[in-house]
Amino acid sequence: MKNLLITLAAIASLGAAEGALAQLSGNMTDQQQLLIAQIQSDKRAMMLSTLALTDAEVAAFTPIYDQYQAEMKKVFTRSGEIMNKYASNYDSMTDDAAKGILDEFFEVRKDRADLLREYAKKLGRKLPATKVLRFVQIENKITALLDWEAAQVVPLSK
Amino acid sequence: MKLATLALALIVTAFPVASFAQDATTSADEQILIKQIQTNRRGVYAEYLKLTDAESKAFWPIYDEYEAKSKVLADRYLAMVDKFAEKYDTLTDADGSEILKERLKIERKRLDLKEKYTNRIAKVLPGKKALRYAQLEARIENLTQRNIYTLIPLAR
Repeated sequence: MKNLLITLAAIASLGAAEGALAQLSGNMTDQQQLLIAQIQSDKRAMMLSTLALTDAEVAAFTPIYDQYQAEMKKVFTRSGEIMNKYASNYDSMTDDAAKGILDEFFEVRKDRADLLREYAKKLGRKLPATKVLRFVQIENKITALLDWEAAQVVPLSK
Repeated sequence: MKLATLALALIVTAFPVASFAQDATTSADEQILIKQIQTNRRGVYAEYLKLTDAESKAFWPIYDEYEAKSKVLADRYLAMVDKFAEKYDTLTDADGSEILKERLKIERKRLDLKEKYTNRIAKVLPGKKALRYAQLEARIENLTQRNIYTLIPLAR
């Protein structure tokens, strides 16, 4: 948990200056990509330590989880791109641009929810249901924490 | 009420969803606070959306309809959490599977509902205000969820 919080703090400091955010284009910077990699690495460690799996369960869980993380990385990247687009439009946002961002926001949220559901099903074929439930609980907690941190660096639309 | 105040209020507030939640630090004062937040939710939108009279007239009926449908899902979620609490000490895989399915189903329905009503709101408000509404809604929901998550233990 400590590592994840350090990474989140790094994200917060990266976006602390609204002006600096506004310099970004819609593409992810190398620094943002690195942070995504860091978050995912921290998440993996946290997930494994919190799930308390047996050795056989770890062997079954990790390939599926890594696949999930790879898919989730695309979602993270899209989220970052939306955030960058929002930042670069922030001072001169039009209603059309705002509507476009809104649509993309929901697309990403749905992709994220669909991925979690799909991979919970996959894990359900390999792990006891109570452990899959635990996985979903942990994943939701982490996601809520990440969303909150992201919200801290994104001002409300003018 | 400023968002920071609302955040603080939600963070310290317990949610009386189940027996294990009631064992947490849910005091009578906190129950009152929950009610205040529920009442002030409208106040937060009113303060931050700065709607014109015409916008208010178009926005509030849609918002109220959304809130009513949202409450149905919230009640379903609470029923699911109650069931989890009830079976917590002896949770079987069959119970876990049923609770998991219900949880994922509710979460998807909640997202669909939110998108549907945000799109309706975007038809009656300028895009920028609709986006602002969605941001406020997402932040309030995030605060509520994180608060609930802290009260629900992980499955054993």
